[in-house]
Amino acid sequence: MHDTKPRPRVLLTKSFIDSHDRAIETIALALRDAAMEVVLIDYEQPEDVVTVALQEDVDVIGISFMSGGQVETTQKIFAELQRRDVADLPVVVGGIIRPFDEPPLREAGVKNIFRGGAPLSEVVATFETLSRTYRGLA
Amino acid sequence: MATVISETTDSRYANWQRTVVARYADRSFVARNRSGLELQPVYSGLDRHGEEAEMPGQYPYTRGIYPIHYQYQPWMDLQIIGYGLPSQTRERMDLLLKEGGSKGYFDREAYNFIFDMPTSMGCDPDHPGVRGSIGDCGISVCKASDYEILLAGKDLAKTTVSMVLNAGSPAMLGLYLAAAKRRGFAFDKLGGNVTNYIWDFFGHSGGTNFSPRGSYRLVADIAAYCAEHVPLWNTLTISEHNICEAGANNVQAVGYAIAAIIAVNEECVSLGIEPESVIPRFGFHVRYGENFFEEIAKTRALRRVYAKVNKERFGCSKSSALQARIHAQTAGSLLTAQQPLNNLVRNAYGALAAVLSGVNGMTINAYDEALGLPTEEAVTLSLRTSQMIAEETGAVHVSDPMGGSFYIEELTDQIERRVFEIIEEIDERGGLIACIESGWIKQQVSASAYQWRQEIESGERTMVGVNKYASDEPTEYKVFQPDPEAARLAIADVERHRAERDDSKCKAALEALRKAGIEVREGRNVGSVMANLVAAADADATLGEMQAVLHEVFGRNK
Repeated sequence: MHDTKPRPRVLLTKSFIDSHDRAIETIALALRDAAMEVVLIDYEQPEDVVTVALQEDVDVIGISFMSGGQVETTQKIFAELQRRDVADLPVVVGGIIRPFDEPPLREAGVKNIFRGGAPLSEVVATFETLSRTYRGLA
Repeated sequence: MATVISETTDSRYANWQRTVVARYADRSFVARNRSGLELQPVYSGLDRHGEEAEMPGQYPYTRGIYPIHYQYQPWMDLQIIGYGLPSQTRERMDLLLKEGGSKGYFDREAYNFIFDMPTSMGCDPDHPGVRGSIGDCGISVCKASDYEILLAGKDLAKTTVSMVLNAGSPAMLGLYLAAAKRRGFAFDKLGGNVTNYIWDFFGHSGGTNFSPRGSYRLVADIAAYCAEHVPLWNTLTISEHNICEAGANNVQAVGYAIAAIIAVNEECVSLGIEPESVIPRFGFHVRYGENFFEEIAKTRALRRVYAKVNKERFGCSKSSALQARIHAQTAGSLLTAQQPLNNLVRNAYGALAAVLSGVNGMTINAYDEALGLPTEEAVTLSLRTSQMIAEETGAVHVSDPMGGSFYIEELTDQIERRVFEIIEEIDERGGLIACIESGWIKQQVSASAYQWRQEIESGERTMVGVNKYASDEPTEYKVFQPDPEAARLAIADVERHRAERDDSKCKAALEALRKAGIEVREGRNVGSVMANLVAAADADATLGEMQAVLHEVFGRNK
């Protein structure tokens, strides 16, 4: 029988030079407790994120930022998604996202932005919905 | 002086009085309040067990490390500063100085530099993949000559330079010392500190670092070098703050901070370094904000446990090796993006808890830090908060004003007991480095962070403006926008630097660094890595080039 309730598979990632892992670790535990499969890595090159996403066959990418690189990194990840022909793989970002970061992030195609204080329930629901939509289950 | 203690010659109170006279001569520290009542510099009496209470400045320093504290020496305000290029940060330093900030001890100027993430992790601006972070959240510095711009005209013998960074710490100290050497300053006059967060595998410092064993070896190397050549330099900041910010609760954070000190001390002992020769230049960075009274009790417990561990476990007897010097910082992770002005009040409560704990230095976060890099207005308000506590509230008139409170004293004892339990557990698990390597430490901290977040979710813990009293009104606020040109300029500058320097001299210095690294890794000539970092920086090696050598020799964490 076709499994209509597969677990969402999610890649959470943060730059190898970024600090403050608290939020991404917390989100990872919350998604795990919501029965998702979570891959958590540091990336060196933005392009590596897409390689891992394809290797791990994830259906949502979540990128966390604390101290810089918000726009430039995200744009590079979207360019690589396009180059590898997976432009519809949904991407969400979280962390310190400043007002001036938001327009270019939205323009790049970011599905959701989560800042500090966003309820975990909302984060979990967003990942679930994006996963189901990507798999054509929604 | 008003006291219930009989002033017999061997009483703690009498000892304290003699010390005060010896140290401060006949200067009076008696203040008057608004009603004209005379305030003693310290109040004391019998403790809860009916014994004569410990006095401030007496082992194990529960009540503070000085007999008289702020009345003689106020805390040092160290606002974090740094963004963009060295020239841009310099403009902000000049502004802060004009506003009455940047005051160090004894009329020194003091700056607390924070670096952008590439610099913090030891990467040059042209390192692949870091471009978006250049100059964004800190200064971009990668060569000794950058300090000639940042500190142009400053008398380095009268400037305290504090450098906050992660894996790039050892090489960064090399750059600073090389710059000081070029300007002709004697190393024994240089004061300041490097946080040297390479000890921190708790989650705050996040990304790339050395291998855990390599990191603790490098900490010992820097400590040994500075003890001999840069004796006023503070070589290590054990940050209880970072551990809390990563998600640990107060008891865990104090326990892990002490465990880190134990690991460093044990590393020194294993290399034949006398702990007492390096410990006086270690310090703490403590977080204030979660729970007002617990913050005060944890500080008192930290001082007490530190003194006991260094005395009983490592045989120290010099008071400077037993006294925990503390730099306070308000809690960054409690700052909210929602209703950001609320953070001004949060920060003020955190800062007051720090002052009542008896700390040596203070960083009050800017209220807008959950939104981005602070604006100048927000930085000034942080400084004003400290100035109000120091000069308006009267909180500075009495040392350890909370001492003797049933609540605070009981909480202090409880935290001390639980901290010793954590230390015992880490010992049983083979020591801190083994606990880092096994992932146990990280798991403890993450679980605690998750539990905290779940309490917010359930409403069990209140965050005003976030899970209670929230408003839907969109908030208009100013956010500091770093210079988008900084990256291009920093990259062009490092390329020019590489083209203009004497490459063969630089290569030889990096090779000498590699050889020294191998020796130190094998336990010989400890201190020679730092010496060779200074030499390499003076030969125009960049931060990233030195870091690559250190990573090759001491390994990477990931």
